[in-house]
Amino acid sequence: MFIPCYVDALYPEVGVSTFKLLKALGLQVDYPERQTCCGQPMGNAGFEKLSEPLACTFDEIFAPYDYVVAPSVSCAAYVRLFHPQMLERHGHTCQASGKTLDLVEFLHDVVKVNSLPSRFPHKVSLHNSCHGVRELGLSSPSERNVPKFNKIKDLLQLVDGITVLEPERPDECCGFGGMFAVEEKDVSARMGLEKVRRHIATGAEYITGPDSSCLMHMDGIARRQGLDIKFIHVAQILAAGL
Amino acid sequence: MSTLHAKAAEEYLRHTDIVERHDKTFFGVRQKRDNMAQALPEWEDLREAASQIKKHTVSHLADYLQQFEENATRNGIHVHWAADAREYNDIVYQILSAHGVKKVVKSKSMLTEECHLNENLEQHGIEVIETDLGERILQMMHLAPSHIVMPALHVHREAIGDCFRSQGLMENLEYPNMPDDPNDPTYLTFVARMHLRRQFTEAQAGMTGANFGIASTGEVVVCTNEGNADMSTSIPKLHIVSMGIEKLIPDYASMGVFQRLLARCGTGQETTVYTSHFRGPRPGGEMHIVLVDNGRSQILSDPEHWQTLKCMRCGACMNTCPVYRRSAGYSYTYFIPGPIGINLGMLRGSRKYSDNVSACTLCCSCDNVCPVKVDLSTQIYRWRQQLDSMHRADATKKIMSRAMSFIFRHPKLYTRLVGSLHLARWVPSAMMKTPLNPWTYGHEMMKFPPKSFHQAWKDLKPKEDEQ
Amino acid sequence: MNTKDKILARLREGVQQTFDMPDLSQLHGITYTDPVAQFIQKATTTAGAHLIELPGGVDLNQAVHQAYPQAQIFASNLPGIEVQLNPDTVEDVCQLTAVDVGIVQGRIGVAENACIWVPQAMKEKAICFASENLVILLRRTDIVSNMHQAYALIAESGEYFRDYKFGTFISGPSKTADIESALVYGAQAARSLTIILTS
Repeated sequence: MFIPCYVDALYPEVGVSTFKLLKALGLQVDYPERQTCCGQPMGNAGFEKLSEPLACTFDEIFAPYDYVVAPSVSCAAYVRLFHPQMLERHGHTCQASGKTLDLVEFLHDVVKVNSLPSRFPHKVSLHNSCHGVRELGLSSPSERNVPKFNKIKDLLQLVDGITVLEPERPDECCGFGGMFAVEEKDVSARMGLEKVRRHIATGAEYITGPDSSCLMHMDGIARRQGLDIKFIHVAQILAAGL
Repeated sequence: MSTLHAKAAEEYLRHTDIVERHDKTFFGVRQKRDNMAQALPEWEDLREAASQIKKHTVSHLADYLQQFEENATRNGIHVHWAADAREYNDIVYQILSAHGVKKVVKSKSMLTEECHLNENLEQHGIEVIETDLGERILQMMHLAPSHIVMPALHVHREAIGDCFRSQGLMENLEYPNMPDDPNDPTYLTFVARMHLRRQFTEAQAGMTGANFGIASTGEVVVCTNEGNADMSTSIPKLHIVSMGIEKLIPDYASMGVFQRLLARCGTGQETTVYTSHFRGPRPGGEMHIVLVDNGRSQILSDPEHWQTLKCMRCGACMNTCPVYRRSAGYSYTYFIPGPIGINLGMLRGSRKYSDNVSACTLCCSCDNVCPVKVDLSTQIYRWRQQLDSMHRADATKKIMSRAMSFIFRHPKLYTRLVGSLHLARWVPSAMMKTPLNPWTYGHEMMKFPPKSFHQAWKDLKPKEDEQ
Repeated sequence: MNTKDKILARLREGVQQTFDMPDLSQLHGITYTDPVAQFIQKATTTAGAHLIELPGGVDLNQAVHQAYPQAQIFASNLPGIEVQLNPDTVEDVCQLTAVDVGIVQGRIGVAENACIWVPQAMKEKAICFASENLVILLRRTDIVSNMHQAYALIAESGEYFRDYKFGTFISGPSKTADIESALVYGAQAARSLTIILTS
């Protein structure tokens, strides 16, 4: 398991759910304790150089495993899309990058889960995080003429009692974008507010998604604006009742 | 910690209703584009073909330019070459002054904006009339375009009506069914029509841009909905085309691909009303094409950014960009806004226009709408990496990144810090809301859990005997 | 070195990697089982044109004049149509801005977007744009499904680009949505378009 830094610090329950799910599926799961961060925050802010040593360490730590599974689409996407070129600059070939997957794609594409014992009798509005949609291909992007699919939705619908809804503009960005949220704070807050409102308009009790950073952003805005909606990571729903 | 874009956006976002209207307008165009994309089974093949044609043409541009010039010359067109804006402006002025031109009617061209042609000609006493309705409105109001395809959608009808009235455009004008709203768009369009049709007959020269130049035939193609490029070139005898050298495509088979993509992506229409092919001067007239480099050949040699030369200026990346829709054109410091504008601005002057690089969440939607598959978000990511060496990086972001990197490089320190974050729970939330904590500007603070995952793992991990 | 040579030299030096031209024969544009029906549908809805299907035996001149009963100045160089102005012989092109109805011949209709290829076949092409209303005659048999097919025809045969050095695809009347996105017909060029389909 790769439990990204901010999940480790702020959303440990997402890591715990991920672990429980993977265990319940009969997999041998380890959490290398030397892990920290994939380097994405610095890279997106324009300091990829500062991410390079982290990418090297990441590769060293995770190379021995069959799969690296992370409950965070943007971190998994960063490892997969950006680590190879960074390591190349250091004369290394990436070992871990290609086998690093987000939890949803791992469950959907590798384990091919088709039933779950979990139960979540609630209405949820699905937040399709940008990097999940457009970098990892978890769902068909609304801009493209490709067959419609949504791997997150497929998995959630295995959960007993759940109603999965999607907001208008189902894959428009929530405005987090790492340091974008503080550097372009007004645009970011506005985008987040609109996004939360669209989720609320579905009538859902929860907003759920495969990336806690988007959820963290929207949660901070929802609470500031006094909007009544709860947030939960997809892993927690899939593991509900385990 | 905010760029000029962020500061301008802050100001713009104070006007909630205007922002909402702007966002809805351009998201509506994006949705029309989506409908077009869904209606064609071959949509993604078209985009891939367009991308490959552009890659091919741009990487053989010298050959195609020579072929284009030969064919155009054979067609009786005068072809000129301009290395930069100054040479371009000089060439245009010389052609106009040699013909004694006092008034020019002109259809929309981003290249002339880029080279500040209008100001230049006006300094020489030549009157320039923009004939695209949106551009004409902006010209009369002394405003810059806020979008490259729909330049004046941010201006409201009341302001347009007031402007037309102050210029006397409604005088002596008969309109059969005068609407209740004196700023009714149909009425205002009629007023502009009558005004512009007078200009077409008074001008001695017409200027157009070029959406495409076709090398195999030596002709240029201009696409408009209003027919203003055609009016500008069928009444005055002199026609001058301003064309960036990257607008070239090889042949008619390629033209089919681009014609089908341009309007569908740009405005969500199957086609523009007019797709006009100019293969030579009109009878008794004269036609000139000015091929302009102005930095384009330099872009070609940039290994990370040469693909911006594929761009055909449809504006789709602006319409989909969630940041553009909520900050609008004037928040950007370069005259072309949105994802392509961020990149083109950096290529024009990386120090001068670096304030736009922040205007991107890296959501990658622009990459998916681009009809020629310019890797827009990747390029913005790359520019961010270059800001530090240009001394244009934000100091706070740099300190934060350095501190984070330091912590992340030291797993023990990291684990200890993350493990003690729960202590923050005892800090009253009011104390968190300081200017030093930019997160609290728009957000409530995160709730800190009692234990980190690292700590939770101690209890979760399989015991020695289990393994 | 002159400017041209400098630009070409920079372009030749600057190329990072060369790419081949893709094989466009593998690109299949949308086709319709009934292109004429699709053309009519597109022309009369999204394109905003009027369309008259001329039954055999009905006089073209009569059809044109009936379509615009209020009009006073008709202009064309097509045989058999009564006109007040002829774009081949008009003294001053500005006279064409007073034309109520201009009548021209279209050569290719495109079903996917209601475009009609109108090659310049008259001395003053202003008739196509400056006329208040435009009538384009089009043979039903000249309708193809998509733009690839239309461009292939123009590229392969000299007859679609013959008399003068200009041709244009026209799809509906002149339009604008530059004021608050409100769609308005009749921006700078023709305010209405009538397509007469002939057999």
